[in-house]
Amino acid sequence: MTVAAAAPVAPAAKEKSQGAIGLLLVMLPVLLVIWLVIWPIISAIVTTLWIPDAGGFTTKTYQFFFSDPYSLNNLGLTLWTTAVVAAILLLLCLPIALYLRFTEGGLGGYVQGLAIFPMFVPSIILSYAFIRVLGPNGMVDILLNAVHLPKIRTPYLTPWGSVIGLVWDNIPLTVLILASGLGNVSNAAVEAARDVGANRLQVLWSIILPKLTNTLLVALSFTVLNIFSSFTLPYVLGPAAPEMMGPFMQRSFRELNDPLSAVTQAVVAFAFCLVFGLFYVASVARNRPKP
Amino acid sequence: MNRRELLVGGTAVASFAIMPRMAFADPNRIDWITSSDQNVIDFWTNVVKPKFEAANSGLTINLVNGGGGSGLQAIAARALAALQTKTDPQVDFFEGFDSRLPKGGIEAGLWTDFSKANLSNYSKINPLAKDIPTNIQYRGSQVLLAYDSTKLPKDKAPKTWPDLVAWIKANPGQFIYNRPDKGGSGGNFVVRAIYEANGKDPSLFTVANFDKAKADDMLGKGFALLKDLAPSLMDQGAYTSGNTQSIQLLSQGAVTMIPAWSDQSLSALTQGVLPDTTGLVQLADLGFPGGFTNCTVPTNGANHEATLKLVDFLLTEDIQSAVLTKLGGFPGVSWDYVAADLREKFKDIVPKSIPVFPGGDWTSAVNDGWYRTVAPNVDRNAK
Repeated sequence: MTVAAAAPVAPAAKEKSQGAIGLLLVMLPVLLVIWLVIWPIISAIVTTLWIPDAGGFTTKTYQFFFSDPYSLNNLGLTLWTTAVVAAILLLLCLPIALYLRFTEGGLGGYVQGLAIFPMFVPSIILSYAFIRVLGPNGMVDILLNAVHLPKIRTPYLTPWGSVIGLVWDNIPLTVLILASGLGNVSNAAVEAARDVGANRLQVLWSIILPKLTNTLLVALSFTVLNIFSSFTLPYVLGPAAPEMMGPFMQRSFRELNDPLSAVTQAVVAFAFCLVFGLFYVASVARNRPKP
Repeated sequence: MNRRELLVGGTAVASFAIMPRMAFADPNRIDWITSSDQNVIDFWTNVVKPKFEAANSGLTINLVNGGGGSGLQAIAARALAALQTKTDPQVDFFEGFDSRLPKGGIEAGLWTDFSKANLSNYSKINPLAKDIPTNIQYRGSQVLLAYDSTKLPKDKAPKTWPDLVAWIKANPGQFIYNRPDKGGSGGNFVVRAIYEANGKDPSLFTVANFDKAKADDMLGKGFALLKDLAPSLMDQGAYTSGNTQSIQLLSQGAVTMIPAWSDQSLSALTQGVLPDTTGLVQLADLGFPGGFTNCTVPTNGANHEATLKLVDFLLTEDIQSAVLTKLGGFPGVSWDYVAADLREKFKDIVPKSIPVFPGGDWTSAVNDGWYRTVAPNVDRNAK
């Protein structure tokens, strides 16, 4: 085997051959990304800008999108949902991750299990469970009724329906990313701060958060990308209109037989995701140890 | 062998094992794929497949759940690509698929033109059901109203469209229908409103007569009726995203009445998803429209000839009667070609004419227009 044969060679040559193997290993995913991601993006941009039937180069599909109040409302709702869900997720998951990082004792394991649990629930099942629990005359209403309280205003089929569903669905990933980032915070640093008399809030603000900025950025970009492209939860739980970009694209493509508009919507959505993708890439690049 | 070799070797063996096994179309095995629900797959597994295989020894049907319309679209797009490269598409029959997709498929000769395929039973198809000749229909279903008879006595159930509108307005929040493109029960409710606004004349809408300006006017009148209803619906204008969710809301007692598919309501009743106290009623002035399920056959399938045999077999009296009795659907053939006793038995339940709204441009216009004019016009903060 090449790997074994290369082992006894002089150190310089060894380094070189390992570099080649490294490149070889990384080539497969890179080729896959080019084939399955980069190429479709280029092809999408070209199909929406170069329309032979309309005389070659034209931006009319984009002009339509950005002048059509219905499409803009959908984009607006998507951005609103993304912002709200991302904010709620950070506020909700940071305390859980902090607890998991600093807890000692058996309870932490159960909390972790509970926080990771949504990962194993398919979103379509979650959606129907949501209708049963938070929908009209659902379990919450039944419990409230049992103690003679009025029914809740159900979030089902409103924008808050998709928000609640998406938050629940994205908790595991966010907690995992934040918890792994908190691993960078050494116990020694925290103890040193405590020794000089910092209280809990000061420790969080001056010791933990500065170490965590990159992780927060990574967590944020992951959740934003997830939410922006979500489909099932807004489809089942959200309102009929405005709708999020995922269901909107699918509907334009399939129900309106209009692939060109669907691709245009996809390119617009992609442009927004690109910004957060760049955040992620930049933060990863910054985190790399200097050679 | 050192540890590294073991790792490398082990990974190689493991990755070999998880490599997708290459699949080739078997001769004499019809690869069948559907976008329909489980009840249809059960019908094929228990009725069509055994009957067909018994009648045609040597032929088998491979039933595959395509996971909904978009799943079938992806496979159809591959079949089109396979046509261009003259390779085997590994699929022979699409159940619940419209040959208008993928774009350019018909022009490229991807889909079999059934009117020229020498099918002995082709002429039996109900003229109401017929769509473009590259789609074939063997089953249909009609929308009706399902309601909770503990809240609404059977003799008070609405029998005409004006009755229904009056009831919805008198009982705000007790009615919901789903978005027209997300399931036929809501879709055909919307179409029924459009018929109402255009003199209850379904013949005004045909596959061939779509015209943008005319459609905007005709559909607009129907959307006005629906906009007028919106404040009286559940949550002042909420719309579920599918047939099943509407049924769920009815079963939770959140609403009193929904439009529902006849076959889906019947199976929900037998499975106990809907309680026995659920009433079903069809409007008498003009029934809710129904729909027929389109099937397509790619011309480049490896078992094309056997598949055409299957298509012809679907239209025989035996299978068509089973559609009625076992599936709870409507036959795709004209009623004259259904067993006489069944014709007699279902005489009162099934009207002789099922309004059918044309697919293609008309349906796209309804779906687009409804989302743009009816759905957003909701003031959720009112109240």
